[in-house]
Amino acid sequence: MSEGGSTLGRIARRSFLIGAGVVGGGVLVGAGVVAWRLGAIDGYKLPASDGETSFGAWLKLGRDGRVEVAVPHQDMGQGIYALAVMLAAEGLRLPLEAVRATPAPIEARYANPVMLLDGLPFDEAAHGPLKQTAVWTFDKILRVLGMQGTGGSTSTRNISEQIRTAAICMHDMLARAASARFKVPADQLKNVGGAFLTPDGRTATYSELAPDAGKLKPNDIKPPPLARGAYVGRGAPRFDVPLKTYGEAKYGIDTRQPGQLYAAIRHSPRLGGRLDRAVIPAKIAGVRGIVEGKDYVAMVAETFAAALAGLEKAEIVWDDSMASSVSTKDVFAAYRAALDKGVDFKPRWIVDSAGDVVRASGKEIAATYDAPFLAHATMEPMNATAFVTETEAKVWAGHQSASLVQLMAAKAANVPSDRVEVFTPFLGGGFGRRADLDYIVKAVEIAGKFKGTPVQTIWSRAEDIRDDVYRPAAMADISAKVDGDGLPSSFVYRIAVPSVTQQFVARALPSAKGGMMADRTTVDGALFPFYGLPTRSIENFTVDLGIPVGFWRSVGFSLNCHFVECFIDELAAAASTHPLDYRAKLLARAGSYEPAIRAARVLEQMAAFDKANPLPPGKDGAMAGRGYALTASFHSFVGEIADVEIVKGDLKVRRVHAVVDCGFAIDPPNVVAQVRSGINYGLTAALYGRVDFDNGKVVPTNFDTYPLLSLEDAPNISVEIVNTGAALGGVGEIGTPAIAPAVANAVFAATGKRLRSLPLTLGPT
Amino acid sequence: MSVEFILNGRRASLQAPPDSPLLWALRDEKDLVGVKFGCGAGLCGACTVIIDGQQVRSCVTPVIDVAGKSVTTIEGLNGEVAKAVTEAWIRAQAPQCGYCQPGFVLAATSVIATDPKQTSEQVFSQITNLCRCGTYDAIRLAVGYALSSLQGAESPEKGAAR
Repeated sequence: MSEGGSTLGRIARRSFLIGAGVVGGGVLVGAGVVAWRLGAIDGYKLPASDGETSFGAWLKLGRDGRVEVAVPHQDMGQGIYALAVMLAAEGLRLPLEAVRATPAPIEARYANPVMLLDGLPFDEAAHGPLKQTAVWTFDKILRVLGMQGTGGSTSTRNISEQIRTAAICMHDMLARAASARFKVPADQLKNVGGAFLTPDGRTATYSELAPDAGKLKPNDIKPPPLARGAYVGRGAPRFDVPLKTYGEAKYGIDTRQPGQLYAAIRHSPRLGGRLDRAVIPAKIAGVRGIVEGKDYVAMVAETFAAALAGLEKAEIVWDDSMASSVSTKDVFAAYRAALDKGVDFKPRWIVDSAGDVVRASGKEIAATYDAPFLAHATMEPMNATAFVTETEAKVWAGHQSASLVQLMAAKAANVPSDRVEVFTPFLGGGFGRRADLDYIVKAVEIAGKFKGTPVQTIWSRAEDIRDDVYRPAAMADISAKVDGDGLPSSFVYRIAVPSVTQQFVARALPSAKGGMMADRTTVDGALFPFYGLPTRSIENFTVDLGIPVGFWRSVGFSLNCHFVECFIDELAAAASTHPLDYRAKLLARAGSYEPAIRAARVLEQMAAFDKANPLPPGKDGAMAGRGYALTASFHSFVGEIADVEIVKGDLKVRRVHAVVDCGFAIDPPNVVAQVRSGINYGLTAALYGRVDFDNGKVVPTNFDTYPLLSLEDAPNISVEIVNTGAALGGVGEIGTPAIAPAVANAVFAATGKRLRSLPLTLGPT
Repeated sequence: MSVEFILNGRRASLQAPPDSPLLWALRDEKDLVGVKFGCGAGLCGACTVIIDGQQVRSCVTPVIDVAGKSVTTIEGLNGEVAKAVTEAWIRAQAPQCGYCQPGFVLAATSVIATDPKQTSEQVFSQITNLCRCGTYDAIRLAVGYALSSLQGAESPEKGAAR
């Protein structure tokens, strides 16, 4: 599985969607322009007002003596603001209270290339020149494009080294300023927490030194490798926790502007339906007007309750001439047909292949898996507040990309994008939903009908669930031929699924041309497997019936890791080998392949846990079972062990243990919290999650028909962190992919039944 | 017509239509935005308030229902139990996105206040709020901390958060 000739050939033959998105977006720039632009971008400094000193793009010293760290990512619960504070405080040797985080300006300097670089079609273990060149080139292009974004478990990976470098450089500038002031060599100065002390007892605080220090040229200093420090590697209390506990944290929905109006929105009940007309039958107290959108109607009133009441009374006529009549069964029938058509189906791509699967010999084992559409269901429903005039616009909303908000709001308000101000409070959940900005565009359109008055548009839960961009449903045919010792001599993975990236690019950048290439996210979790599967074929069948799909926590990994890890469990059972031992054999067969070594390290810890904590017998005669799954996502490795009980036909997940290698855990308590979160998010999907369509209508409308995991049903989750010192991996999504297969495999262990459809339904026992 | 009641310990009145949801009246008329909108159907508990000691879903409570009663929102939460609960929440570093947490804090406070000698399991069984970030392990830890501190079994200062 090295980056040999065949891999290079495969990559060269393939061009990928991400490239199409960038090029189609109209960015074709010469190398000279790139260098010039990058120079300007790198020279960017945070604007400083009177009494403030800027120390470059990331840090400035405020008037009150506190350091401000700029964060170009949104805090949606992953704790990136607190992490930025921690890293800045560590490098500047300050207490946490001496640092605060502020949203970064919308500037190219704060682009997030990591998010898109992860979409490149490279084996993460490959380090060859082709990959290096491609990553370097894309990095530069993406930085010139300057797209900010929060997603793909990238915020820490994107900014941690930049903030550590900025902090260590700022500390050096302050030390040099102190040295000059006191005429004492810098190495004789003692740092006493926000001040420098000379051997003869003179002191100067950072605030006193800042005006001089800010004029110095920064030295080119690299931070030392990540290691346990005052906060790093230990964790620290998050500043946002008290705010959130006492109800003081402000979310988009809490925006209050003088004279603000409220809008309640209703979308076409059927996908693709249009609004024909909407009228208010009589005067309703507090209602200020009705806005007729392309596929929605909004009632604008002085209070949200009045807007809701008005919407109930409105006479709305929908035009269904263009509406979809798709039902869930049509989607799965189309998947089945595509997979059955095989090589003649288009578009179809072999995204990763090795050896000759046709000529492989052995006994064939085959299974078909499927998974449904899923809604995000953030606790804070979609909402945005907008203020629009003839010349400018302002937006207050939770979102996952400030620069995209600026672009799309400008278009909706018909003003230049540099006249759009974006204010980002805390997000009441993101999970990928707030990467799609339809709710902001509509809020701007609605406010555009009330120029000079801020309007807050809030979606009801029904609108939030019915007008989501869903985690795509998928179907996978998996087969393997196994040799005498039960190991696969071939592995063929074929998935039918729509492309999230293709749809997203079409929605966000309509000028970009996508769709000519495979979307890596559709096979993430199946391609470049860490197991030794030297003869394999990983195929994508792109089947899109027009149901909107979007990025849902862990994206393609949520599908492919489930299918693959359930199938591996089937192979283990067929070989009458313990699932952990079987995986160990498959990893051993991958030799010195780096991902296999990391996966094996995680597997070892799983085995140690398994041995030390045997499965307790089911209570009161309930059937009990333990299941395992091993996954790699976002450059991190996660193994999960799930203990289940079948209580009177009900599936209960009692305990989950996770082993995590994210390279280095900068904030271990938060890694634990995020992995638990990812597991519970995935458990909701595994146990209950499904969004069905019936004649173009979304079936579920609220938490009664789209249930979420409750406190009562949430298992106890323990998380074990393995610091391997590998490059930083993501954390926010990595808990999700392994839980559904671990639970499904536990059900098999308990009952002997293979549940190959999600959500896991036991049926009559 | 206005509805008179006690809001966070003070006399207050609401002008909102008597049949309209308490949730929006508190948020829009009283600017108490710690009361969160989650589902509008009493299913998730983000909008939890305490009315005369009981946890109540304000999104399905008409304004008229609070006439003459005492309503507590996260902004007005105080007292020994509330202090123990909020401190426990911070010690457990429970919130992630945080949107549902005021509802959980109010639910836990009202449940624990009825009998601080309860077991953790008894408290859990009375909290039916939903958290999409899945902070349930930390919430269980926080409830345990709060009960311990109220039952004097352990000093809340002892030990690290996790």
